[in-house]
Amino acid sequence: MRLGVELGGLRLKNPLIAASGTFGYGVEYEGILDLSLLGGVVSKGLYLEPRDGCPVPRIVETPSGLLNAIGLQGIGIRAFVRDVLPRLARYETALIVNVCGDTVEEYAEVARIADVPGVAALEVNISCPNVKKGGIAFGGDPRMTHEVVSAVRKATRLPVIPKLSPNVTDVSVFARVCEEAGADALSCINTLLGLAIDVERRVPRLAFGTGGLSGPAIRPIAVRMAWQAARAVRIPVIGIGGITSTEDALEFLVAGCRAVQVGTANFVDPGIYARILAGFESYLQRHRLESIGEVVGSLRFPDGEAPGGPGA
Amino acid sequence: MPASSTHRPPVNRDVPLVRRQALEGPYVLLTFRHPEVAAGARAGQFVMIKANTVSDPILRRPFSVMRVDPSEGAFTLFLKIVGPGSHALAELRTGEEAGCLGPLGQPFTAPPEDQEAVFVAGGYGIAPFVLFGEELGRAGRRARAFYGGRTAADLQLCDAFDGLGVPLVCATDDGSFGHRGRVTEAVAAHLDTRPGPVTLYGCGPDAMLHAVARLAERRGVPAQVSVDPWMGCGLGTCLGCVVPIRRPGEARPKYHCACTEGPVFDARDVVWP
Ligand SMILES: Cc1cc2nc3c(=O)[nH]c(=O)nc-3n(C[C@H](O)[C@H](O)[C@H](O)COP(=O)(O)OP(=O)(O)OC[C@H]3O[C@@H](n4cnc5c(N)ncnc54)[C@H](O)[C@@H]3O)c2cc1C
Ligand SMILES: Cc1cc2nc3c(=O)[nH]c(=O)nc-3n(C[C@H](O)[C@H](O)[C@H](O)COP(=O)(O)O)c2cc1C
Ligand code: FES
Repeated sequence: MRLGVELGGLRLKNPLIAASGTFGYGVEYEGILDLSLLGGVVSKGLYLEPRDGCPVPRIVETPSGLLNAIGLQGIGIRAFVRDVLPRLARYETALIVNVCGDTVEEYAEVARIADVPGVAALEVNISCPNVKKGGIAFGGDPRMTHEVVSAVRKATRLPVIPKLSPNVTDVSVFARVCEEAGADALSCINTLLGLAIDVERRVPRLAFGTGGLSGPAIRPIAVRMAWQAARAVRIPVIGIGGITSTEDALEFLVAGCRAVQVGTANFVDPGIYARILAGFESYLQRHRLESIGEVVGSLRFPDGEAPGGPGA
Repeated sequence: MPASSTHRPPVNRDVPLVRRQALEGPYVLLTFRHPEVAAGARAGQFVMIKANTVSDPILRRPFSVMRVDPSEGAFTLFLKIVGPGSHALAELRTGEEAGCLGPLGQPFTAPPEDQEAVFVAGGYGIAPFVLFGEELGRAGRRARAFYGGRTAADLQLCDAFDGLGVPLVCATDDGSFGHRGRVTEAVAAHLDTRPGPVTLYGCGPDAMLHAVARLAERRGVPAQVSVDPWMGCGLGTCLGCVVPIRRPGEARPKYHCACTEGPVFDARDVVWP
């Protein structure tokens, strides 16, 4: 298993995972690509109940990026477990549920319901707004982050993978908080808060107003944050942000990530997984490496000293 | 969740441009090799496609399949250049490739045996009706087309129905070609002649589709419309293409993905802005 990786108790056949909200529930891609190619699939964000989401426009394109405010439209965790999971059972890929909540209790409840055979791990989407705290994101406050992650930790035996928000000053603080709260791994990063404006009409281009930026535009920021997180904790980090090629994925691995997720690029080309996997193989050959694990954290700085934390 | 499709799953592949035929103004016909689209696409279905020669904008764009040639393994798009995505496609040279996923979406449903199909097209909305006219012709059904645009230069496909036995009425807002005024006025005039039972089919700008829906409701005739929202993936995963739909018996409209459950919807179910 040259491409196999271990993620805090979760074994993946390769380090490529489909990112939440960009791969539906997986079943949408049946017949278009072989889901067993993937190391894992993360579901769309799931709350307890189904959600309708935001009005349109929900997505606009910006230079090399995508700004979205979907509003976490989804079928709810019960329908996922009842209707979707059985359809995915035949694929050899790790199914990861993206857990959402309006409250700490809702996160825990979704986590409990998701703890069924067929689910390999839980990714905790701490970027959800906390309705009890005026809608500020759980993931923007270390104490609320700790509360949510510990509540999910207590609710399940499955590996718990908080997904860090980039909309913070020092991501390593949040990485450590999650590790203390019992996380088995970290996903890094979610979308960056953005605003695009229609200057003719002088209104936001998205119906909701602000949105989350993804795609190649955010990659250097994502690589930097994943690198910071990986240095801050002992648990493995999954790198996410703007991956469209083998080289992009390798950036995260070299920076210290054990695995990566592909998001926006799923919309562009469903053939991306086969392409990146072939690229991994030829990279290993070219660099005479036995396994992809040897790449992880192999980043060197010319003067031997890594620069310091944020702003350095 | 996508409606479990009754059709063959779409196929993702790089497709070489086989032919390019520039028309007047911003219009062009592009033919790509894609055997599965050529063999399986039905009228109203579309492809998500992007020229591999550019990296920005990053997303593919939706275009209706206008014509298929199964023996050549190729399909043709009727494309209006409006921005960077359509521009990059129109700039492709023969042999250069585009990334393409298709066929996608739910096609038009043919009218009952005894009914005439009435196409109402605005601008590039004519594209799916060329394929529909061929399909209905093969099935021995009657069809009639109304084709509208702002000005004569917008009506680039007037000869597409030649030989299909589909009578064509053109309309331009400025009267530079055909009937002067809205295309739906020409359709209303046709309905005034009591042509017998008809089903209306609309494809074009939202305002025209809305007018088709109102006309159908006033005259008590069924209508299917192909909506034209922004689309990001074509597979029901980005949830950017949703339209509010209220099906009979439902208290509230619900968002439906135009890419998987549409783009063709029953005009009565669409909640217009
Ligand atoms: C199901 C479906 C079938 C289509 N079939 C055809 C076709 O057969 N031929 C054809 O020429 N076009 C068709 N379109 C429209 C086509 O997808 C858009 O023109 C294209 O996405 C524009 O991309 P761009 O990068 O060139 O321009 P952009 O820069 O993305 O857009 C340029 C301008 O066009 C507007 N625009 C963008 N997307 C759309 C859209 N979907 N509808 C209306 N206006 C839009 C934008 O608001 C902007 O003002 C279809 C759209 C859909 C949803
Ligand atoms: C349309 C869209 C929907 C998303 N939905 C979710 C979601 O439900 N839960 C979540 O944790 N992240 C969600 N994300 C964030 C992605 O999983 C990913 O973290 C982000 O897009 C950065 O990766 P990328 O640049 O490869 O897209 C969404 C992103 C997009 C573009
Ligand atoms: S275009 Fe992405 S869900 Fe319809």
